[in-house]
Amino acid sequence: MANITAANRGIKHKTPFFERIKPGHLLIYALLIFGALVSIVPFFWMVSTSLMTLGETINRQWLPKVPQFDNYIEAWEEAQFNKYFLNSVIITLTTLAGLLFTSVLAAYSFARIKFAGRGLIFTLLLATMMIPESVTMIPNFLMVRGSIFPLPGLPAWKGSWLNQLPALTVPFMANAFSIFLLRQFFAKIPEEYWDAARLDGAGHLRYLIQIVLPMSKAPLLTVVIFSFIGSWNAFLWPLLVTTKPTWRPLMVGLYTFVTEAGPETQLLMAGAVITLIPILILYFLTQKQFTEGIATSGLKG
Amino acid sequence: MAQTAASSHLSSKARRIRWIDIKENITGYLFILPALIVIGMFGFFPMGYAFYMSTYNWRVKQGDFIGLDNYLKALGDWGGALIFAGGFVLLIIAYLLWTGAFKPAKSWMYTAVRIAAALILIAGFFAISDGWGKMEATGDVEFLNSLPLTVFYSLGAVPAEIIIGMVLAYLLFQKIRGKEFFRMLFFLPYITPAVATAMVFRSIFSSRETSLANQVIGLFGMEAQKWLFEPRPFIQSFFGIDVQSLNLPTLLVGPSEALVSITFFGIWTYIGYNTVIFLAGLGAIPHELYEAGEIDGANKWQLFRHITLPLLSPVTFYLAIIAFIGTFKAFNHIYVMRVPSAQGTADVTSIFIFDTFYKANQYGYAAAQAIILLAIILFLTFVQNKVFGERVFYG
Repeated sequence: MANITAANRGIKHKTPFFERIKPGHLLIYALLIFGALVSIVPFFWMVSTSLMTLGETINRQWLPKVPQFDNYIEAWEEAQFNKYFLNSVIITLTTLAGLLFTSVLAAYSFARIKFAGRGLIFTLLLATMMIPESVTMIPNFLMVRGSIFPLPGLPAWKGSWLNQLPALTVPFMANAFSIFLLRQFFAKIPEEYWDAARLDGAGHLRYLIQIVLPMSKAPLLTVVIFSFIGSWNAFLWPLLVTTKPTWRPLMVGLYTFVTEAGPETQLLMAGAVITLIPILILYFLTQKQFTEGIATSGLKG
Repeated sequence: MAQTAASSHLSSKARRIRWIDIKENITGYLFILPALIVIGMFGFFPMGYAFYMSTYNWRVKQGDFIGLDNYLKALGDWGGALIFAGGFVLLIIAYLLWTGAFKPAKSWMYTAVRIAAALILIAGFFAISDGWGKMEATGDVEFLNSLPLTVFYSLGAVPAEIIIGMVLAYLLFQKIRGKEFFRMLFFLPYITPAVATAMVFRSIFSSRETSLANQVIGLFGMEAQKWLFEPRPFIQSFFGIDVQSLNLPTLLVGPSEALVSITFFGIWTYIGYNTVIFLAGLGAIPHELYEAGEIDGANKWQLFRHITLPLLSPVTFYLAIIAFIGTFKAFNHIYVMRVPSAQGTADVTSIFIFDTFYKANQYGYAAAQAIILLAIILFLTFVQNKVFGERVFYG
């Protein structure tokens, strides 16, 4: 492995193609910096506005004279972020746990176990990725409301999940994309491991837990990252199924804050910054895995 | 004797194999069961149920069975819709003829085929505009108008996302410092919550004279614009070309300034994603090809045109399909960025469906609209596959 990379580097050094464009590097940097500025300026605008006084947001300057950190406290309290933030954390973690459970099992089955109709079921699953939310949203809303058939739950819910935790988590506890991503990885694990495990008397479940999962940290992390973002950023569905604040997640809370904050842009921006923070932490902690996971998963599609 | 022993041995072995098979099958199904229950319940079942709902007069509660009347209400006129759809089929036939999908033997026939293609093309456009006129006359004009708005959004966002993403990836792929740093910055808009960033864009593209967008165009000496609050067509409000007085159909006038502002957001969000995927695609192109090209004396543009571009085409195709479906499904940021002053000129189909469902409480009608949208997505994906899929070079 080390030899191969060394050889690769050797080739790169001999290639004049990359060496010859040195003067052009200035132009490349100029373009890249321009692109980076475009990506970053809205974030800068968001943070800088969030630290302004109301007057400063109207007579727009680039930076506040004195940063108003109090805006964050005010936004946090006014928008009831205490509750919504915790709701979002619980919703995201519950969804993640359920999603990992269903996708690992299904992905393993599609990759390793030969059962009748495997190809057909897998293709059907993949087809669900094309269905727009507009189509499924309406029946799902009726179903969650308990209008189609009573749903399991506490007696007090009366067969409806409206404003309850399962409405926000269960529908996202499985998706074709995660199954597909893990399946691609599981299918590449050499057959010899399975043969050895079977000789030791292991069944599928033990083999999956003791051998396959420890080898699959990278794809699992990719699934976790994707689902975390998807769940944290979700908006349309939570907007429909949370008519009361009980389980309302952060994004819906932020949206309803738009009307409450009215013209006080600085509070709104402070609220927006707060919702970004968990995503940014996750992003910076797993940066490399993040982009590479997305790159490989995207390419294999 | 020996024969029967052998055969009984065989059959017991066969039986054992079959038992293992059954066990395998059961384990396989058990493992996919949890996922299937969730996807079946919240993915497949609603698909069928949406169609069921669309055949009823269903407001908040289920009403009478009305067959396909909801569809008729949206599309106006079956004949018109058929002519309209037929127009698109003609366009595809014209395209296939023109690119020589049916290769004739003689050269004079070649010219004839091309002339035929041109005629079919004209007929196709004629059918589309005729069918559309018939649909608009009797159908739900607001719903029908949301379709070209969706197309504007899609055509505005997808090519820009792909081209800029490809350029940035190509630049990043050169031997430069800080590659990871740039990649990280480009990617930021894609992962951050759309509700939050769309709010920022609402402030950046606000009608205030001091808004960022107005400050930027002010640098070029342009007058302040109303951006998200501007319902007039972009070419009129921004470039001052008076198209409204010509009374042209929406499709020719182009998107409103509000929708263009929203398109900027769409582009801004997805560039980073495309860049990352293109970078991976560039990394997969074998180095030797560039060296061979160099030896043959190709310049950098030729290397890009004849090596990078064709070898990247599967990635481009994949991204185009994904982006395209994405723009038709786009909801969150448009929902956040639309303002009453835009007078509905930014209400693409997915938004319109949501309003029919959530605000107007017309469940059955909204379901019919959603299924029409799904049909359009399926049709256009199929067309993309046919038209561009064949140009993809898979090595």
